[in-house]
Amino acid sequence: MSTLLRQHAEQLYAQELEELQKQDTGKRPTNWKLTPQAVVTYLTGGKLKNGFEVSPKYIGNKRLMEIAVATLTTDRALLLYGLPGTAKSWVSEHLSAAVCGDSTMIVQGTAGTSEEAIRYGWNYARLLAEGPSEKALVETPVMRSMKEGKIARIEELTRIGADVQDTLITILSEKTLPVPELNTEVQAVKGFNVIATANNRDKGVNELSSALKRRFNTVILPVPDSMDEEIDIVKRRVESFEKIMELPAEPPALQEIRRIVTIFRELRSGVTIDGKTKIKVPSGTLSTAEAISVVNNGLAMAAYFGDGQLKAADLAAGIIGSVVKDPVQDKLVWQEYLETVVKPREEWKDIYRACRDLM
Amino acid sequence: MIHILGIRHHGPGSAKNVKDFLEALKPDIVLVEGPPEADPLLQWVNHAGLKPPVAILVYQPDDPQRSSFYPFAEFSPEWQAIAYARRNNIHVRFMDLPMGHSIALENESRQVAERPGSIEPSINNYALRSNEVAEAAAIRKDPISFLAEAAGYHDGEKWWEHMFEHRRNNEQVFDAVTEAMQALRETFPQKEDRIEQLREAWMRKTIRQAEKEMFRNIAVICGAWHAPALVSMPKPKDDNDLLKGLPKVKVECTWIPWTYSRLSYYSGYGAGIGSPGWYDHIWHHPNDDGTRWMAKVAQLFRTKQMDTSVAHVIEAVRLAEALASMRNLYKAGLEELNEATQTVLCNGESILMQLINDELIVSNRIGEVPQEIPKPPLQLDIEKLQKRLRLPATADFKDYTLDLRKENDLERSIFLHRLQLLDIQWGERHDVSGKGTFKELWRLQWNPELSINIIEKGNWGNTVEEAAQQFVIAKATEADTLSSVTGLLEHTIPAELHRAVEVCIRCINNLAAASGDVIQLMEVVPGLVQVTRYGNVRKTDADLVSGIVNSMLTRICVSLPAACTAVTDEAAQKLLELFFKLNDAVNVLQQADITGQWQQTLQAIAAAGNTSPMIAGYATRLLADYKLLEGDELVRVFHYAMSAATPPDKAAAWLEGFLKGSGTILLIDNDLWNLVNNWVNVLDEETFTRVLPLLRRTFSGFSSPERKKLGEKAKAGGSGTASRAVAETGVDEERAKQGIPVIMQLLGIKNLSNDQQ
Repeated sequence: MSTLLRQHAEQLYAQELEELQKQDTGKRPTNWKLTPQAVVTYLTGGKLKNGFEVSPKYIGNKRLMEIAVATLTTDRALLLYGLPGTAKSWVSEHLSAAVCGDSTMIVQGTAGTSEEAIRYGWNYARLLAEGPSEKALVETPVMRSMKEGKIARIEELTRIGADVQDTLITILSEKTLPVPELNTEVQAVKGFNVIATANNRDKGVNELSSALKRRFNTVILPVPDSMDEEIDIVKRRVESFEKIMELPAEPPALQEIRRIVTIFRELRSGVTIDGKTKIKVPSGTLSTAEAISVVNNGLAMAAYFGDGQLKAADLAAGIIGSVVKDPVQDKLVWQEYLETVVKPREEWKDIYRACRDLM
Repeated sequence: MIHILGIRHHGPGSAKNVKDFLEALKPDIVLVEGPPEADPLLQWVNHAGLKPPVAILVYQPDDPQRSSFYPFAEFSPEWQAIAYARRNNIHVRFMDLPMGHSIALENESRQVAERPGSIEPSINNYALRSNEVAEAAAIRKDPISFLAEAAGYHDGEKWWEHMFEHRRNNEQVFDAVTEAMQALRETFPQKEDRIEQLREAWMRKTIRQAEKEMFRNIAVICGAWHAPALVSMPKPKDDNDLLKGLPKVKVECTWIPWTYSRLSYYSGYGAGIGSPGWYDHIWHHPNDDGTRWMAKVAQLFRTKQMDTSVAHVIEAVRLAEALASMRNLYKAGLEELNEATQTVLCNGESILMQLINDELIVSNRIGEVPQEIPKPPLQLDIEKLQKRLRLPATADFKDYTLDLRKENDLERSIFLHRLQLLDIQWGERHDVSGKGTFKELWRLQWNPELSINIIEKGNWGNTVEEAAQQFVIAKATEADTLSSVTGLLEHTIPAELHRAVEVCIRCINNLAAASGDVIQLMEVVPGLVQVTRYGNVRKTDADLVSGIVNSMLTRICVSLPAACTAVTDEAAQKLLELFFKLNDAVNVLQQADITGQWQQTLQAIAAAGNTSPMIAGYATRLLADYKLLEGDELVRVFHYAMSAATPPDKAAAWLEGFLKGSGTILLIDNDLWNLVNNWVNVLDEETFTRVLPLLRRTFSGFSSPERKKLGEKAKAGGSGTASRAVAETGVDEERAKQGIPVIMQLLGIKNLSNDQQ
């Protein structure tokens, strides 16, 4: 097993990609490693002709994945939009891994991301010594993927300042990156495209200009539709976490995951699962990703400080941590939920007690 | 040679296949699934004035609610088949079980079931149900979905669409449909549904009849499910036996306009389709690759002030094509186009998709029926009035604000009120913002089922006026409670039906005379007084009404004092409310003799020793409000009621009535305040404890600022003179004068000084 803390998608699922490639006989767009259909199969899982089982990476509406892949075959870029923790980056990574076998062409958008991080920068020592030259140029992931016909990924696009965002317009419409200092340009090779992610919860983000927006097809990733879907997601992700982290704990009982997911769904939607009781909604997003990390955290607690079995006490701290983001308001919301919803549930006594002890 | 064409109702692909097939086959007769009674109506198809969506309405003349619709859109295969036959002047006939039989059968089974009290549905859904693609009663699930599942589709509708509707090459398609349905019918044998068997038997009978008449080339258009039953013919005798001795009722039929929204299954139509607007589009543009559709979407967005460039359209079409090729479809369907629209044009948001759904996918529109078609006279009259008053029937709702001072608007209002009286719910009256009785807001939306109501009401008269008049008169004479007639009258007056108004008033008078219950009379009068207010704008029968109000008030005044004695507390509370409303009504009328009469009654009630104390208190208060009891006299009366000899609970009840609804009188009138204050002071502790709950009840009726002020006043020592002193000496005459012109202006009184200038 690799000693890397986290492997890239194309490393972790190398075998699946290889099998898909073998089975895949259709026509591939230039520089694509797989046909669009095979990319969708890779993302949503399925059985290949030779019986090989491809694990699902995205659990949810298959049509959304089809739209995303179809977008990449046109000359429009793809914008994945949604609440934090709805698997935007996850989908983006797997999409680029499946399409071009490389998910590393990534630019992290921040308020401080500059034009040099998107277009190109200079190696100033060289620049001073030799003057402007190809060698003094520092390529960005975007420039490299244009040259190699790969997918460039831009995370949190809306966090980048509006002026910097707009440098993408030429890249996306003309598919070229001019370098006026050298009187040259880099023209994108077929297969190049951009996948950007952005979330719609944060405040103080920079809305895309309409010129840039027009270059993107937007796919909104929703929170999971049904309880079972969400449980499935949490279960799969926790299992893979266990494998990677080599935790000595026993795999969590489905029932434990179900309880976490129930708590998260109820607080997120503001109503109990049976639809009878209204609940106040806390300020956090309570995404599926957070539910996953609560279970992971609980597993680690159980493995190193408990008896190796996931118990309510191991989960309590994690739940409170993700629900109570605002120490005043959310605390009240949580206490109310605990007293009115958790307490009366007969088989939830352990969770109630564990959470009470921590408050 | 008999050709069976199994189709899906309202499928544009089926329609095209049928049309092509017929044009190639050149049959000499076309048989279509539908009620044979409607055969004479078929001559209207291809008439320039008959524009689909339309429906054939079949009804039982003596009970029009027993009725069925057979809707047709332009893209319905049946419509195309009939249109082909009309174009080429060949015979066309309906071949389903006659509606006369099926309605009679249904009536029979209803009687057998015998469920008294169950309200019949306003529309008989029989034809709607019977138009379904497949209706094996045993299988709740659409049987086609079994085939679809076998082919790996989630949805039977979609599978059918891809297999049969979107197909270009259609040579063998009808054979394939028949075979598929044959397999289905074998796997899911029908439950012994008699109606189904009868229908198929009748279809076969019609086919045999055509053969007998020496037609060579017979084309039969029927729902796919029935196709196998018509291919393999049993012995004629079996069918004839089956069809022997069926009960029958008389039915009539006519064409009526239909709407797309009624075609969609959101309105509960069994053979409904999700997207009539889309089907209409692909029927008219069968070769559209999505470009034309997307252009429509873009146009819609632009009219709604949403910027949509040509580049957007191009990208959306490309994405739809990419999706279609990924899904191995030869052409982008509505789903692909919708997904592309949402992703490219709407930035992923689904909110705008609702707009597209309403405007384009369902694309609500209403059909047209030519004037010349024989119609019930009432229907004709309504159409004539709609035309004259410029109130067209529309599929979507439309708001009209009517200004009753204008001639045309007044007529519209009268027309709409009359329809309302006839229970033809075309319009719905809404409240208008702003004051004034001369404005009315109506929201109109035509609903094809209204046609039934019109036919049903047709036996009341041949014009709207006549029918409404007769209907109201019949209703009024049957009514046995006062309130129902007054309710009717309230609606009849704005409809300007003078004879009906007279009858209503006569009925009210009779009922009022017969009614010994003064409370019932009291309940009715305020409503009637409301009616007299219409006199301002509408030149109506308000005088008549005010006459009856007078006589009713007299009746009330005579018997009220007696009704106020020996009543329980709860009854007294209720009576108090009626007093309140009646008093308002009297004030609205502003007629000296009535007011005088009312005041005398109040005096009698207040003075009578055995009146319920609460009512006596309230009557006293009303007299005080009329300034009939003032100053010392009022003090005397109050003291008398509160005197020590009166049992405390009675006194408290009197007080409750007296102070009903307002603490202000206590705050302002110091004599009164002192009176109450002194009374409370002299109560010994035991008595005070006894009356305290009653007092609390009285005071809790006051508004909280009033209560607060009263508390402050009591705290200040109870005299309350201080505040009065401020009020008297604190006014600066000079400053007050300066404000007068503004107040005059606000009140609309002309300033005298200005006039002089």
